[in-house]
Amino acid sequence: MASFIQAQNLSLAFRPKNREAVTALTDLNLAVTKGEFVSIVGPSGCGKSTFLNIVLGLIKHDSGTLQFNGTPITGPSQERAMVFQEFGLLPWRTVEGNVELGLELKGTPAAERTRRAAELIKLVGLNGFESHYPHELSGGMKQRVGLARALATEPQVLLMDEPFAALDAQTRDLMQTELLQIWERTKKTVLFVTHSIEEAAYLSDRVIVMTARPGRTKDVLQIDLPRPRDYEMRLTPEFNEIKLRIWEVLKEELNSRAQT
Amino acid sequence: MSAKEYFAEHRRFWIGICSVFVLVCAWELTLTYIFPVNPFFFTKPSLIGTAFLEQIQSAKLWHDLAVSSQAFIWGFSFAVVIGIPLGLVMGWRRRVEYSLDPFLTALYASPLVALAPLFIIIFGVGVTGKAALVFLLAVFPFVFNTFAGVKSTDSLLINVIRSFGGDEKDLYLKVILPSTIPYIIAGARLAIGRGLVGIIVGEFYAASEGIGFAISQAGDTYRLPEMFVGIIILSLIAVVLTELMRKLESTVAPWRASDEVR
Repeated sequence: MASFIQAQNLSLAFRPKNREAVTALTDLNLAVTKGEFVSIVGPSGCGKSTFLNIVLGLIKHDSGTLQFNGTPITGPSQERAMVFQEFGLLPWRTVEGNVELGLELKGTPAAERTRRAAELIKLVGLNGFESHYPHELSGGMKQRVGLARALATEPQVLLMDEPFAALDAQTRDLMQTELLQIWERTKKTVLFVTHSIEEAAYLSDRVIVMTARPGRTKDVLQIDLPRPRDYEMRLTPEFNEIKLRIWEVLKEELNSRAQT
Repeated sequence: MSAKEYFAEHRRFWIGICSVFVLVCAWELTLTYIFPVNPFFFTKPSLIGTAFLEQIQSAKLWHDLAVSSQAFIWGFSFAVVIGIPLGLVMGWRRRVEYSLDPFLTALYASPLVALAPLFIIIFGVGVTGKAALVFLLAVFPFVFNTFAGVKSTDSLLINVIRSFGGDEKDLYLKVILPSTIPYIIAGARLAIGRGLVGIIVGEFYAASEGIGFAISQAGDTYRLPEMFVGIIILSLIAVVLTELMRKLESTVAPWRASDEVR
């Protein structure tokens, strides 16, 4: 199958004023097929989130090519939606208002927006909270809103930038399982950035390990665990085997970083 | 609810009331029994109270209030209409910020009431001159608070709007303006106090009617109780307007009011 998202020799350097340029990404290669769940792990500061923002269209890369569905990415598009680590909900809008945001910016008629928002709020299990404001919600609920908002515009790709990193451990486990259920129902292509090997192994079809800065693809690991996956699967020897494989690859990068 | 619980709940209000009551009594008793100062030089609550009752029945007080309010409303409205957009543009457009900053900072820091004579020369003794003075004093809190609000807009929210394909107009209407509203209201609270100063200075300096003129005239003729009536009415107006702004903030920005720690 042809690649849905394809990055070839992607490079980017930040040039802060009065300081030396920092190479964030160098010759990054990556191909994602439609409907695939791909996670990116790597040491802190390796450019994982930067890459996600390039795919989203908020940051422009310096050189190399980045194609989405056969055409170069030049800016934001509602075909790709992001779920942000810090949620990014508008505090002056209710849950419903936040979920409708993307549709509003797209120019969807009000009646259609309301219908669609109700559908998504139900999908993420927030029925009954439609008129609550973000400050009245827990972290997990906020991220459910973030997920519903991203899905509302029916994007083809869901970009997730450490979406569960700000949540407590139990909420995190719960959200991972629910994300898998939603993914199996909606069959979106997902690019998921995380620090957690466990999370990457549990969710993904493939895990991409990036090098320390400047970030490149170091290795790609296929996760051949059966689906649908559940929490109990995490206790099997096969699962631990996979975690160990990812760890072995990542460890070298963490060590090389520690030495500098 | 028992009486005890009721007082625990409204402690702030009742302690405040008691405090005012004690001060008024102390003032009255001191001037009656301890230092019976000639009422020509200083006055006491009972005399002010009598004057207050007389004044609120006279047409002159209401006329003065109407005259002053008119100038205040005009000046304040112009401060809103000009200050807020200016602050928004300054916050979002760096070049505008850098060009206007020197003037605004200098003007904000200076004692602008010094310009009162000039304003009276240009705009005359009537409503226009006073309104111009109110505007001059009240516009800066709007500009600077709106500016600070725009500057503190969460860049994550800007990115959210952009990521969904929003344009400049969407950024203003969906993020920058809503997140700036609490700052604007805080600015309005400052502007009320400054605007009232504008009215009073304008009327002290050159006027033949208005609440500031009434205070000044009562003072000049040693009618201290009447002077205090004017001052108390002004404070009441300031308190009511400021409290209204606080209420407004919790209505339009409930997410912020709930964050407030008391």
